[in-house]
Amino acid sequence: MENIYKIDLVLIVVSLAVLIGVVGYINPLVVAPLDDYETSETEILFSIEKADVLLVDDNIDFTTPDEYSLEDGLKINLKPGKYYWKAVGVLESDVRTLTINSEIDLRLEFDGEGYSVVNAGNVRLNVDVYNGTELVDKVKVGINGETVVSGDKIVGSQDE
Amino acid sequence: MNRRILFFVMFMFMVSSVYALGVSPGRTTVDFKEGFQKDITFEIINSGDKDMKLLLTAQGELAPYVSIPSGTISVSASEHSKTLSYSINLPNNLEPGLRTADIFIVEVPEITETGSSVVLATLAVVTQLYVNVPYPGKFVEADLIIYDANQGGDVRLIFPVVSRGEFDLTDVRANVDIFNSVGDKVDSFNTQSIGVPSGARKEVVYDWKADVPIGNYRASASLVYDEGTIPLEAVFSVGSKELELQEITVNSFSLGEIVKLEMLVENKWSEKIVDAHISTKIKNDRGDIVSSFDSAAYDIDALSKQTFVSYWDTAGVRVGDYQTEVSINYGDKSSTKNLEFQVSENDLKVVGLGYVISTDEGGEGNSLMIILVVVIVLLVLINLLWFLLLRKRLSK
Repeated sequence: MENIYKIDLVLIVVSLAVLIGVVGYINPLVVAPLDDYETSETEILFSIEKADVLLVDDNIDFTTPDEYSLEDGLKINLKPGKYYWKAVGVLESDVRTLTINSEIDLRLEFDGEGYSVVNAGNVRLNVDVYNGTELVDKVKVGINGETVVSGDKIVGSQDE
Repeated sequence: MNRRILFFVMFMFMVSSVYALGVSPGRTTVDFKEGFQKDITFEIINSGDKDMKLLLTAQGELAPYVSIPSGTISVSASEHSKTLSYSINLPNNLEPGLRTADIFIVEVPEITETGSSVVLATLAVVTQLYVNVPYPGKFVEADLIIYDANQGGDVRLIFPVVSRGEFDLTDVRANVDIFNSVGDKVDSFNTQSIGVPSGARKEVVYDWKADVPIGNYRASASLVYDEGTIPLEAVFSVGSKELELQEITVNSFSLGEIVKLEMLVENKWSEKIVDAHISTKIKNDRGDIVSSFDSAAYDIDALSKQTFVSYWDTAGVRVGDYQTEVSINYGDKSSTKNLEFQVSENDLKVVGLGYVISTDEGGEGNSLMIILVVVIVLLVLINLLWFLLLRKRLSK
């Protein structure tokens, strides 16, 4: 009689152990990016296992998430901003945040007559052109865009 | 003669030189609090990898509350970036709304031994400081965004709401009327209510069942919050979109050459679709079409995927950022997706779709999980059986 109880106890313990193992196994394994990750790169590589879908949203309630099917080496292009994301499989992962910082990168090349201004950053730029202290031109330059200006001071700032 | 040579060398230097300067982040946004103090770090990017001397100045209405490093800052050619900070020390009161300051990072022109500058223009970049000062009481900024849907599907209405007042919003909801293209009201509904803490952004979301004929519709909404209403309006379409563009793959890209674009399309309809093709229109900043090309025609089986191949001749295309309209055409229907092509010399980035650089055959994990679930179920059943047998024996 005592043996029966012992065997039963063993069975219960084994069942629980396996159950815990399964729950641990089916929990999405999120490798990258880390929580609170900050970068100015707009192309983000996600490394996630045991999940089917990646949800990315700009609000923590995930009311209108962008949904991506998870496959090995999934890369997503995102604009600068703060994002919340989670992986969903049999279970959901914790919510992580990701911040893409805006980057201003202004490049000038003198072509003999004027300057070729290149926006090598990740946001649209307002470029103000001065001659002395006088503002002589104001142009917007898209990401990777290029424009020619004439002046002696060129100032680049993030557009709205 | 020597002066001519010197002038020529200087001219060639100027012609061949590329001046570069960057800063990240381009903007830092903070919420106002009385006597708020904070150090804000930013990174100067020496993308030209050269020795530089920089000056920092603050301008704008918040400039008196900004302390920046004084004197010139040296960045050596070996430093690709340099982290700096400025501190803000805000007063107890500011006018409500958005208050700003610009921190200018100015490259100091180099002076040669002869005293003449070798840099023809001064280059400067700006990192902006945005401070949101709450309005007295309750104040709301809101918008209405609508996603189209198929006939019988759900049209999603989203009201992003930002609470810009000093108090939390406890009851934010929307009353919506839907009108057809001739102005007849076809439906009315109210959304659920949400609360929005001061300074936070939340969304009111409603899925409207599009049990209406195919066509264009207008949603006229009143966003009702604790102390007022905001009128909002937007148009949307109800149509049939059975084909969906899922990803665009470009294996090798070189600007100026013919590029092969592989576009993966899913047929979400329960019937085979024949003779479908994809038209791609690439537009410049002004919306003018700079390139357009079509794929070959393909048939797609029901509920399956098909790769459409298009070729884009990039001769004459400049490096830049292009709005791109990708339309899948089949029968008398068309499904359009607006994307952004970010074109550089050796790379094409497609913004608006996720894409995969390599795929692995899955399945191993799933089968292992099935085995584990079966084992658990078996163990539980054995346990139950054991108890039942035990009971019977005890009852005897």
